[in-house]
Amino acid sequence: MARKVLYERSGLPDNHVSRNFLETLRRNVRVRKYSYWSVVYESGVVTQQLGSVCIFVLCWWLMETGTLVPSQLFTSSLALSFLGYYLYDVIDGGTGRRCSGRTRLADLKSVLIFLSFTYGLSPLLKTLTETISTDTIYAMTTFMLLGHLLFFDYGANAAIVSSGLSLNMALFASVCLASRLAGPLHTFTLITFACELFALWPLLQKKLKKQSTGCHGMLTVLFAVVVVTALAMVAPACAALAIVLLFLLSFLIPLWLVKLQLYKDNIHGPWDEAEIKDDLSGVLH
Amino acid sequence: MPHSICMVSDFFHPNAGGVESHVYQLSQCLVERGHRVVVVTHAYGDRAGIRYLTNGLRVYYLPLRPMYNQATAPTLFHSLALLRCVFIREHVTVVHAHSAFSSLAHDALFHAASFGLASIFTDHSLFGFADVSSVLTNALLRASLGGATRAICVSHTGRENTALRAAMPPGRISVIPNAVDATRFTPGPPTGNPDSTCHDRAHLPRSVDRRCAGVTVVIISRLVYRKGVDLLAGVLAQLAATRSDLNFVIGGEGPKRIVLEELREQHCLHDRVTLLGALDHRQVRDVLVGGDIFLNTSLTEAFCMAIVEAASCGLQVVSTHVGGVPEVLPPDLLTLCKPTVRDLCAGVIAAADRLLAGKAPDRATTHARVRDFYDWRDVASRTEKVSNDDSSQNDN
Repeated sequence: MARKVLYERSGLPDNHVSRNFLETLRRNVRVRKYSYWSVVYESGVVTQQLGSVCIFVLCWWLMETGTLVPSQLFTSSLALSFLGYYLYDVIDGGTGRRCSGRTRLADLKSVLIFLSFTYGLSPLLKTLTETISTDTIYAMTTFMLLGHLLFFDYGANAAIVSSGLSLNMALFASVCLASRLAGPLHTFTLITFACELFALWPLLQKKLKKQSTGCHGMLTVLFAVVVVTALAMVAPACAALAIVLLFLLSFLIPLWLVKLQLYKDNIHGPWDEAEIKDDLSGVLH
Repeated sequence: MPHSICMVSDFFHPNAGGVESHVYQLSQCLVERGHRVVVVTHAYGDRAGIRYLTNGLRVYYLPLRPMYNQATAPTLFHSLALLRCVFIREHVTVVHAHSAFSSLAHDALFHAASFGLASIFTDHSLFGFADVSSVLTNALLRASLGGATRAICVSHTGRENTALRAAMPPGRISVIPNAVDATRFTPGPPTGNPDSTCHDRAHLPRSVDRRCAGVTVVIISRLVYRKGVDLLAGVLAQLAATRSDLNFVIGGEGPKRIVLEELREQHCLHDRVTLLGALDHRQVRDVLVGGDIFLNTSLTEAFCMAIVEAASCGLQVVSTHVGGVPEVLPPDLLTLCKPTVRDLCAGVIAAADRLLAGKAPDRATTHARVRDFYDWRDVASRTEKVSNDDSSQNDN
């Protein structure tokens, strides 16, 4: 058998194919086996985020039509936030707080600063997009919310994931929508609500998912039920669409993903670019 | 039977690099063997039209604009008229295209097939199969190598890679390594170059003058991600902290230079890490002989000329175990390491200890061995054989 070296002439012709040709080829080295139900369970993150977006738009719509009074939304969302804040500390027994070293007073201060600034700026935000046509606003909101869903950190380690961009897009959408509401108080309420829903809730959501599997499943079902019933009250056609979409997301697409694994054909060999496995964060900035 | 060979590649002098020197050296040696050789590349700045190099080697700088990384736009047809003109005018019988990154080479292969000319493709690089850019380039390669009759790869690993990427039967791919001009890479004091001015000297590492002060590690490569500059930074940081007798000289330029400069600032290594910046090809030897150990941290490499040049100057070579590197030098001249900081540090330290203990092989002996491994004339005669097979096949 010819040795694979270049510094010695073996006497064989240069295009000789020896038996050890491609002996180092490896196929599907890093393929993960998916089980259908675990994929369904994991798809809950997407369902929940889609639910958050739907709930946000629904609240805006209810305020736009006057069904929902700003004070109601504000008080209920604030109450839920405090409940979430309490839960956030309780579920890990306060270890997270001890590690970060933040006091409750500091948290309260940030909340107050944020609320007062949003309150003070809300008349400005209200009139910010006055010169822009409503259709443009709706189109922008749609794109921004879709972008939010696209870039959201669902827990995958991929280049497209960017929580910062995702949050910014959601807040941009909320400013767009809020500026079409009746008064500054409406604007203030909607933006506060958006922050609670898009910035704070995902933190708690991630922690809940890590702590208990049952809780994540229940939350997913809860989100799906809330979204579908709320949509059914406002627009039955949308509710039907939402049901189809949720079904696709939670059952059909996972099935597709599992089935597609059969066709995976990855080849690896010595020609692959080496991966740097060391942690170089101390050296690189 | 003498051929009229047309070398086509986007990469040629005045650009500097592995492919460029390969094309030049191979052309010169083929001319020496009695073939008629022309080189076709795109215009570099105002260097357009026909130029003549040593031994009357004619170079066509076609007036095409480079699009990305010195490669022309992959449109397939905008070079047709010019290439046709060259093929007819030079009575070309064999088209020899170089490098998968060169669009002009792909164009030439395609047009050669349509003119019924024999065509050879030399692949100088390795590609993976996982990321988008390689998937696209591999598709392009499969299309353009459909017309090529033969391919040449610079290492066995390269051949396996090309056979898979281009879906080409391996019997049509020959393995012909690169070579090194051993007469230019000799051990000895760094004075042999009459071109180097006082200014050049000032650039050279101080360690040239104070050999006894410790061990000098030389790194010469383009400072880009694929050459493992991040890994190099990790290795430098660790070695500088643990071994005070090691000095580092880094030659080369690139976007990752900032990583090394930051490292030097952060760890206050100005007296031990010298960054030389871009090196002229003729300066390389002088920098090499100023060192004791050559370190290569590439993440992927089809052949790696640099380690052969370093070994030819008699240095101890430490390299990552990637691609075709293990095929290039015998194990006693090359320390192979896994691409991790720990392993590379261990490799360099082992080599340094060997040197300090006086157990390292003599530079002149190493040079003499490497000189026998690779020779451009040998490469040219093997390439000629491929051309002969190729055109006889075409005649049938």
